[in-house]
Amino acid sequence: MASDPTRRAVVAAAAALPLLIAGCKGTQALGTPPVPAPDVARLRAAIRAEQDLVASYQALLGRPGAGRGAEYAILTAVLTEHQDHLHQLRDRLIPGSPRAAGSAPLPRPRAAALPGDPRQALGELLRAERAASDRLLSQVPEVPSALAQLFASISASEATHVLALHAAGAA
Amino acid sequence: MAAGSQAAGSQAAGGGTAEVRALQAALAAEQAAIYGYGVVGAHLAGNALAAATTDWTAHQEAADRLRAELQDRGASPAPAAVAYALPHRVSTARQAVALAELLEERVTSAYLGLVALPGPQVRMLGARQVRAAALRAAAWRGTTVAFPGLTTAALARAAARRQIP
Repeated sequence: MASDPTRRAVVAAAAALPLLIAGCKGTQALGTPPVPAPDVARLRAAIRAEQDLVASYQALLGRPGAGRGAEYAILTAVLTEHQDHLHQLRDRLIPGSPRAAGSAPLPRPRAAALPGDPRQALGELLRAERAASDRLLSQVPEVPSALAQLFASISASEATHVLALHAAGAA
Repeated sequence: MAAGSQAAGSQAAGGGTAEVRALQAALAAEQAAIYGYGVVGAHLAGNALAAATTDWTAHQEAADRLRAELQDRGASPAPAAVAYALPHRVSTARQAVALAELLEERVTSAYLGLVALPGPQVRMLGARQVRAAALRAAAWRGTTVAFPGLTTAALARAAARRQIP
């Protein structure tokens, strides 16, 4: 049934019409497991990447002696922006039935294994930001336009985090 | 009055397609930035002046690219205005830096218009320039933002378009 919200996870802000068409195909193919729309898979991947970045910053800021100086303030500001990214990305995903292939629960956030040396750890985060920015940028042509704008904007934000991490002393 | 919105690009000769309109809007923002950086540079010295000069050159190159894209589509790139009204008075280095931030924010928003188009090539052009302008804006501002080029209102509108099929 095309109007059954439990059939699949959907990309929220992205193009109602293609989703309705996809829903009709699902109706014709009753009995086969629903295949997640590629847009949903890309959105879920972006959410996973974002929640892992959030966990990584939280792990670094939670270290004993993380301090309260300028570096702490920079990292806290960047963490807040990642939490905003995550909120916006999640807002565009409506999860459906856990049985649907495209709507399995998202994995738990996983912090990166960061080196003990603070400057090296910041360097790892810098590389993670750069990779996340490039990944989102590369997907801009693949997703519906409203999601493309969000991906482009978040990609740009993550590129600017590289500047912030340099300022915080990343090696 | 906004520097970007007064550009002569609003008369967009030669095309009514969404792609041409968005390219002309981006060109108008670039032309306003080129004019604005002339004012910015006049109030800066040393490293800040060098940065403004580098950014001015980047905007010249980006405008050239947009003109070429328009001509490829059979459209005439709109000429720059003779002068632009600045959004605020600029008589100190601090005000010059604030203007540079604003110019970059407007360029960022204009390029996000390209990202909403169907064509993959023009989308990527837009997305790369969104990133470049956001980097320049952050360098002038000294801080980062979560959603370069997107307003809170735009985010709310996008979120309101959620659909359950």
